Amino acid sequence: MVEAQTYEGRELVKAELIANTTAVTPGKPFKVGLLLRMAPGWHTYWKFPGDAGIPTEIKWSLPPEWKVGEIQWPTPLRLVEPGDIEIYGYHGEVLLTQEITPPASLSERSVKLSADANWLVCEKICIPGGTALQVELPVGGSGAAANQELFERSERSLPQPWPAGDVARISWSRNGNDLVLQIRSKVLASQTAVEFHPLPPDNVVVAHPATQRDAEGVTFRIPIQTSDKIAAIPGVVVFGASTDAADRNAWLVPASAVSPSPAVVQPSIGARTIAQFLLFGFLGGLILNLMPCVLPVISLKIFGFIQHAGQTRRRILRSGLSFIAGIFVWFVGLALVLIVLKNAGHAITWAFQFTNPYFVLAMSVLVLVFALNLFGVFEVALPQSANRGLLGWTSREGDVGSFFQGIFATVLATPCTAPFLGTALGFAFTQSAWIIMLMFVAIAAGMSAPYLLLSMQPAWLKFLPKPGAWMERVKQLMGFLLLATLLFLLSVLGAQRGLTAVIWTMCFLLIVSLACWIKGAFITPLASTRARLTAAVIALLLLTASGAYFVGAKFAEAKLEPVSANSDTDWQTFTPEKLDAELARGSAVFVDFTAAWCVTCKFNEATVLETAAVREAFRRHRIVKFKADWTNADPAITKMLQQFGRPGVPLYVLYPAGKTDAPILLPELLTKNIVLEKLETVAARIAAD
Amino acid sequence: MKTNLLITLFVTLAGSTLIAAESPRVGAAAPAFSVADTKGKTHTLADYTGKWVVLEWFNPECPFVKKHYGSGNMQKLQQEYAGKGVIWLSVDSSAAGKEGNLTPEAAGKIISDWNISSTALLLDTDGKTGQAYGAKNTPHMFVINPEGKIVYEGAIDSKPTANPADIGTATNYVKAALDEAMAGKPVSTATTKPYGCSVKY
Repeated sequence: MVEAQTYEGRELVKAELIANTTAVTPGKPFKVGLLLRMAPGWHTYWKFPGDAGIPTEIKWSLPPEWKVGEIQWPTPLRLVEPGDIEIYGYHGEVLLTQEITPPASLSERSVKLSADANWLVCEKICIPGGTALQVELPVGGSGAAANQELFERSERSLPQPWPAGDVARISWSRNGNDLVLQIRSKVLASQTAVEFHPLPPDNVVVAHPATQRDAEGVTFRIPIQTSDKIAAIPGVVVFGASTDAADRNAWLVPASAVSPSPAVVQPSIGARTIAQFLLFGFLGGLILNLMPCVLPVISLKIFGFIQHAGQTRRRILRSGLSFIAGIFVWFVGLALVLIVLKNAGHAITWAFQFTNPYFVLAMSVLVLVFALNLFGVFEVALPQSANRGLLGWTSREGDVGSFFQGIFATVLATPCTAPFLGTALGFAFTQSAWIIMLMFVAIAAGMSAPYLLLSMQPAWLKFLPKPGAWMERVKQLMGFLLLATLLFLLSVLGAQRGLTAVIWTMCFLLIVSLACWIKGAFITPLASTRARLTAAVIALLLLTASGAYFVGAKFAEAKLEPVSANSDTDWQTFTPEKLDAELARGSAVFVDFTAAWCVTCKFNEATVLETAAVREAFRRHRIVKFKADWTNADPAITKMLQQFGRPGVPLYVLYPAGKTDAPILLPELLTKNIVLEKLETVAARIAAD
Repeated sequence: MKTNLLITLFVTLAGSTLIAAESPRVGAAAPAFSVADTKGKTHTLADYTGKWVVLEWFNPECPFVKKHYGSGNMQKLQQEYAGKGVIWLSVDSSAAGKEGNLTPEAAGKIISDWNISSTALLLDTDGKTGQAYGAKNTPHMFVINPEGKIVYEGAIDSKPTANPADIGTATNYVKAALDEAMAGKPVSTATTKPYGCSVKY
């Protein structure tokens, strides 16, 4: 029995209910299927329809004691409509099969199986269709196979069960609002096309999965919106020469990997990979010491070592260990905050604290206070010659100081994502809590290694000059280094909130300096208690009042200026829409993910990207250049960074012309040669195509 | 002094982590728009600061839109909340030549024939507003609070079918969101998967 759905005289869908047998044997399961034949260009929908549409529905009215199984959905096509609308459905013909189990005894001579089928069929417009269908079968005897070809074709197009672990290993994780499905599989890595078709539960809204391929397999990032703490969803991985050809294949993501049992959700990465990434973390931490944003503070520490030269071995070791403890406390604390946030379902990004102007403001104040301290405007720690006579207290004070310097050095280090660190962290952010913790510990260990060596081998300190009056001069010199850091922080604030914000910040900084001077001049051990109290009250009043006025009112009002268009017109301001438009036009595109506070980015731009040779090469190869400015944590850019598995900037992406699915990632520290070489290979690939 | 600095440092850090959260759609500021209605009057989101705003993606040809207008369900909602001062904007983002694209005259006729009771029907022919909101379906619903933040996004109700008979038994998410939000309560179902026809950009 065939029913046709017509619309304005056109036949859109022919629907038919068919069975795979000519007769029903009591107690023996058989298959029935809803066969839908769509007019050319029209489609019906999969179990999960995608951004729009409704899945086909089959409602059976079977006699009691008959059982019917779940619909077996053939692997759908992913169809893209204008406006970034993606749907999953079927063109041409589809057979949706179900297993039916009759009762063990049947008295009738024939049975009539009835079902109401409802579907939505769409082309440029959508028309709901539906009809009551029947299939009548005699009872008894040994039925012969029927409609064999149709059922076999449907069977072949069903997603296959997930293969054995040596073919494909699966791991799920949650990164903020993204689910990350990582599959390590040589089979998938060798395919021309791989896609993930999600089957989200009712209470989960999914956006389009992003696919990232590498030699080891494939990683899908699936943005979700849900109040549930899920770490995985069911779905189908589709692959082949293309994902819409007849010879494509599909694997059903195993239910065991989707079940909420934590044992299964744990990533199944090998211990060797972890060790490798921890090594990267360690090396990254080591390299952090050389980053321009940490160097000034490191010099403070070196100065400390100089001061300690000649003291007992034990004291040097203690001071060194305190410094190292500071480094560890900071990184472990940061890791804990990240883990808590990650579990709370937030998107985490490296150096995120630098996207908050108030954090930068607070850092400016700290840096200034330290500079003033170095200049001798006021003393923080009691000098060792102080008339206290409490040697124990002084040394403890020194340890606290070292501890604090350790923290201070690492806070400043975060915006410099050193080369190894990017890879290591990108990996860590997709992992479980304990791996994140291990990774941060590795970074802390890397950063502390030189100090540990120096503290344990103070003999090497002998090569440093003996303490003396010159130390005071070195101390003051270090103060200027900190002032240079202050300039950098102010420039960041300028980029974030504009000139007025910088001016109000500097007003506040002036008052802070004044308070420091009051502290140094009047709050001394020699002054009377009353004088000290009066001075402290005045200093506090000044700080509170200026804080409330300059920061609370004026700074808060300062407008967030739109990222100023680069006066140099060959860079375009990045938006995802503009990127898509350029890629759709078939242009080769380069995207520079940068931020005002990212020193590595500025360094790369000044020494490589903005040099005449590189600019000329970009022009010659007609590569469209986008600048994605993450200074204020633009969410669209955060999303792009996450798609590339990076927690922060810098990130350099080169899309070869016409190959939007194979972007090339450049290293985080650029050299002219690297960039020119990549541009040449892109040009060569275009020529070869 | 040092201890104070330490505390300052950690407090600032704790504060700064708050902004690390990437805002989901719901809870984020609703994108600004500027679209002309059927009478040529331009509406912007800023016009309605301080008011509750409902955006409803509309396509008169779509069976799912017809489900809610043919049954009078949508008009009833529009009238009920108009009475409570809610601004209800129907938006047609169909591109020229695509299904559901309307001239101002044709749109005016549909408004009177269907007794559409929204504040205005906006003709977003270039699809800019639809794209800014990521509207994918008709109907696709957004509820915006007086501070301009999205408090609900998704389907009109819980039964994704084109059958008007399902309206009676479905939970109307937009009504539930408006009632909760306007009573100062958090919206219990703030994001759902919208259903319907794709927007014909």
